[in-house]
Amino acid sequence: MSRISNDTEFRKALDALDATRQRQVAARFVEHVLGLCSDERITHVAAVAGNSDASEAALAEALKTARAATFDCHTRCGSEGDWSEQAGYFVARAATAALTPIAQMPSGPAWQAALSCRMAQTSKSIVTGDDTAGQEGEQQYRILSEFLDS
Amino acid sequence: MSASLQSGLNALKEQIDAPVAAFFSSCVRCGLCANACLFHTETGEPKYTPIHKLEPLRRVWRQEYTFWGRLAKAVGLSKPVTDAELGDWQELVYDSCTMCGRCSMVCPVGNDIAYMIRKMREGMAAAGHAPAGLIGATKRAIEIGSPMGVKLPALQAQIRHTEAEFGLEIPVDREGADYLLLLSSMEIMNFPEFIGAVAKIFKQAGVSWTISSEAFEATNSGIQIGVSEIAAELVQRIVTAAEKLKVKSVISPECGHAYMAIRWEGPNLIGRPYSFKVVHILELLDQLRAEGRLKTTGMESQRLTYHDPCQVSRRGGVVDQPRNLLNMVAENFVEMPETGTMNWCCGAGGGVSSNERADEIRLKAFNRKKKQLDAIHPDAIVSACSNCRIHLEDGLEEYGMDMPVISLTETIAEHLAGNEAAGSKES
Repeated sequence: MSRISNDTEFRKALDALDATRQRQVAARFVEHVLGLCSDERITHVAAVAGNSDASEAALAEALKTARAATFDCHTRCGSEGDWSEQAGYFVARAATAALTPIAQMPSGPAWQAALSCRMAQTSKSIVTGDDTAGQEGEQQYRILSEFLDS
Repeated sequence: MSASLQSGLNALKEQIDAPVAAFFSSCVRCGLCANACLFHTETGEPKYTPIHKLEPLRRVWRQEYTFWGRLAKAVGLSKPVTDAELGDWQELVYDSCTMCGRCSMVCPVGNDIAYMIRKMREGMAAAGHAPAGLIGATKRAIEIGSPMGVKLPALQAQIRHTEAEFGLEIPVDREGADYLLLLSSMEIMNFPEFIGAVAKIFKQAGVSWTISSEAFEATNSGIQIGVSEIAAELVQRIVTAAEKLKVKSVISPECGHAYMAIRWEGPNLIGRPYSFKVVHILELLDQLRAEGRLKTTGMESQRLTYHDPCQVSRRGGVVDQPRNLLNMVAENFVEMPETGTMNWCCGAGGGVSSNERADEIRLKAFNRKKKQLDAIHPDAIVSACSNCRIHLEDGLEEYGMDMPVISLTETIAEHLAGNEAAGSKES
């Protein structure tokens, strides 16, 4: 069984994946924090991203939807921020990263999706005051390990 | 006359200094400023001509400070500025002007129209004609310390996240550090990865730095809305923190108007010189590059272009530094047709982004940026202002253009040499 225990191993493993598998595992990262986003479009987007048989047209449409949701969820400059809604913004951003072609995201779609999911948990922790934000990384190590073994 | 109108007219009168009087006296009504303003070029509506946006201020100047204007006023031949008129002008002064200063660049007699818009806003705010969005942002800036209501615990959470993510310490309240890093609320809320990018770069370059828990906010809503007393209070908070921590320099982050506020307006607002220097983050990064302390690896093969934030490039003079930095990491860098000091604004600066009423005109004006991008077809846009960044994304979405917008500081951090263990990819 694959066992990933730190970010160096995590990122190395992500970088070794081809574009389709990066998208699929990124979708799993997004699904893990989906409860933090109230925008139902992202549920659909994550499902498309996780589908290995999704057509190019479906992926393009999902990316467009994810981008629109990301912009709709962001806190505009100068307006009062709400960290619960901000968590949703980061989930939408993770979904966007999952569907962005690697050529447009040299740092890696799956890595960027993972980071945004962690930021979503941080945003939630700002609201709840708990200190569980750091645990999302551990969860992602587990998700990736299981993905590699599947 | 209502008390608010009287207050507004008094404020306008107080704003008319020698430069303003000279500018109005010099204007030859050539209309060149119209073609320099994206709100005019993209709508074709004469009311968006920059100098026209100052018409109430011009009339106050003429009626109060010129011989013929005073005579005309005395015999009832001049039209007084009314409350309704100032209400009508709100759209022109706040919604359709980002104070980008492009109009000032083309004026053949050297009138600084952006400077006058800034002054005009003082009268508008005093008369009660500022947009609700900016009023809210300014209230939060004074009461909470952030126009977006970001409190210290939220920043501390983002710092903890960043430290865990990158295995780096983010120093807070470290007395005697060389640099005090300011952050915009936009970075803390929407782009917290900026904090990690700076931490990674500073670690490699051996920069001594800190964040202040007492004054971390870089932005200044007082300047955007046009209330100098509030603007001065916000600057003073930073000055007090910088002096308490005994730093040598304060770093303005990737935020255009924050740089203009703290670097250029700040000393005038508080009425004394600083005991420290102010640098934009790109100025510091370029200095580190020149000193050989910033080392990168790998090149972006994408076709990258750079959007100059108006307050950083045109009004701040930070034009060469971003290009020097991009040369380190971009092998296919391409300039837009008009760049540097003559770049076109994203359309959302100067408080426009805080003002939901301005969304329609802002997105219409974005067509100017679209034309610039259509001329070169880049794969991605790099910039150095969080507000530009989010509104470029909005505009691209609106016009169906598919290209990411990325931070220059974050791009440099992504390419730092010997940084793999900290989570950065070496390409």
